[in-house]
Amino acid sequence: MEAISHAGTVMGVLAKDGVVLAAEKKVTGKLLDLSIAKEGGYGGSGEKIFLLNNNVVAGVAGLTADANSLINYARQAAQRHLFSFNEDIPVEQLAQRLCDLKQGYTQYGGLRPFGVSLLYAGYDPHYQFQLYHSDPSGNYSGWKATCIGANNGTAQSLLKQEYKDGLSTEEAIALTIKIMSKTMDSTTLSSEKLEFSTLTLDPTTKQPLAKIYKPAEIDALLAKHGIEKKEDDVAMAS
Amino acid sequence: MELNGGSVVAMVGKNCVAIASDLRLGNQALTIATNFEKTFPITDRIIIGLPGLATDVITLKERFRYRVNMYTIKEGREIEPETFAHLVSSTLYERRFGPFFVEPVIAGLTKPSEGSVPFIAGTDLIGCLTLPKDFVVSGTASDKLFGMAESLWEPDLGPEELFETISQTLMNAVDRDAFSGWGAVVHVITPDKVITRTLKGRMD
Amino acid sequence: MECSFALVGKGYVLVAADTTAARSIVKMKSDEDKTKVLSPHLVMTYSGEPGDTVQFAEYIERNIRLQHMRNNHELRPQSSAAWIRRTLADSLRSRHPYSVNLLLGGYDEATSTPHLYWIDYLGTIASVPYAAHGYGSYFALSTLDRYHNPAASLEEGLRTLRRCIDEVANRMAIGVGKFKVRVVDKDGAREVELPPSVSVA
Repeated sequence: MEAISHAGTVMGVLAKDGVVLAAEKKVTGKLLDLSIAKEGGYGGSGEKIFLLNNNVVAGVAGLTADANSLINYARQAAQRHLFSFNEDIPVEQLAQRLCDLKQGYTQYGGLRPFGVSLLYAGYDPHYQFQLYHSDPSGNYSGWKATCIGANNGTAQSLLKQEYKDGLSTEEAIALTIKIMSKTMDSTTLSSEKLEFSTLTLDPTTKQPLAKIYKPAEIDALLAKHGIEKKEDDVAMAS
Repeated sequence: MELNGGSVVAMVGKNCVAIASDLRLGNQALTIATNFEKTFPITDRIIIGLPGLATDVITLKERFRYRVNMYTIKEGREIEPETFAHLVSSTLYERRFGPFFVEPVIAGLTKPSEGSVPFIAGTDLIGCLTLPKDFVVSGTASDKLFGMAESLWEPDLGPEELFETISQTLMNAVDRDAFSGWGAVVHVITPDKVITRTLKGRMD
Repeated sequence: MECSFALVGKGYVLVAADTTAARSIVKMKSDEDKTKVLSPHLVMTYSGEPGDTVQFAEYIERNIRLQHMRNNHELRPQSSAAWIRRTLADSLRSRHPYSVNLLLGGYDEATSTPHLYWIDYLGTIASVPYAAHGYGSYFALSTLDRYHNPAASLEEGLRTLRRCIDEVANRMAIGVGKFKVRVVDKDGAREVELPPSVSVA
């Protein structure tokens, strides 16, 4: 729990036609070699936001090593479901799977629990777009917009003020960037500090389409929404 | 193989490959369904054809999907045709003494940075790979397909010519086979897209 | 002789199974229900090795029910079919395989479409507009080729089904007896009565 409150912020916002997930990266440095991550098949640097299945992306906050193990478990669980039922795993069921595992470690002695909170952004035909949060104890809950990690209190109160029902994905992206820029420790928002993803429906096939933004795409997105250092300062001054 | 019937053929072209299957699902001489495709996309550039015992066709389709998805998500990139062919081979050889009754055909293009080179392969039911340069045939009409492909195929065909060649090969071969037929589906994989067309044949 | 039929119409699936329980040449029972309602929008007919059939059908029924209770919603027909198929395919390569043939009819509430699956004891599955199992399939499939209409009303569908049953009764060396018919549509699964047979001259 302690680790989670220091971890990079992860924020999720549910829209009527999609879900948005953004995460703040903590570990950066000039010497960190990201050359492989930049070419990665799914984009992103693979530090905070992961693709769990065709229809679910997750953002993690907490101990990275624990998170990697949980991500791997989730991916296998999703594929096992696809294998047995020939359908993408419903989002809630995937969250449940992970929570069953996490709860197990709170019950049996000798082992420590997973120090990880997750946000799940997903789609299934039963309940359309969904956003779930799970904590290390194995509790999970559904949200319209929520936040985990450092400064989650500030972000949540901002979300509470600014969230409106029936947002479009575009509006949700704008809202996410706006609040992330206010709550993140650093003053500059850039692809070095941010991971970003959306989950929408492919307009032609109507199948879920997960997009984890590549660094260049994040910078382009930030520029589009006018979040640059100078403007931020102006906003604060006014 | 003769229980459910069905045939698949794959051919190499110039910077493209084609793979086609018939659509019949039978129970010996009785036709159960006429919409049973035996080709399955693996990635945007690889398609596998699985003629044989229908239950194993479906089981293997799902097994390959599972293994390729795990590969893709862990590696962060798509599988290459040759790698996939070896995955198919080892999956089948796992059941050396109680095999899946399927003889797969694989068609794909290597990634654009490696020149989109055509790749085709066939295996027997225990996963012995063959890597011909021209075409692969499999299924209940394989003997007839050999004859047709041998006479119609020529090197360096473009996507449209290849489509015509593979279609004629398959349609004329399955017309002489009681266990295959009821139309066909043809895929031509090119570097930028997959052309898929459904053909009607002698619907009897 | 065991036989079952099913067909898809406009927004519904009809399934029918004979009601004879026979041992060798002796008819033991004439009101055996060889259909099962698996969940509110899913029905199935089963036939095959006596003993295996009921055992397997109940196993499926309980598991589908369990899925429904755990997840607060029904398993969709596509997913149910895939799961049942997997169970049969796994069983085929086990020490004692179930030898059961199924017709699975369901209505998908997410997309408002009816679905019909032909499944055999090997784990072969086919999504079809009409289907049959048993010796009856040799006659019924031809009848259905001629008369099936995917846009037919329920009354029309029932008449087509009646034609199949009459055809089989006419041509089969052994009598087939009565049939149990169930329909599943947006309102769920229920039993229906067949219209009286029209003499086929």
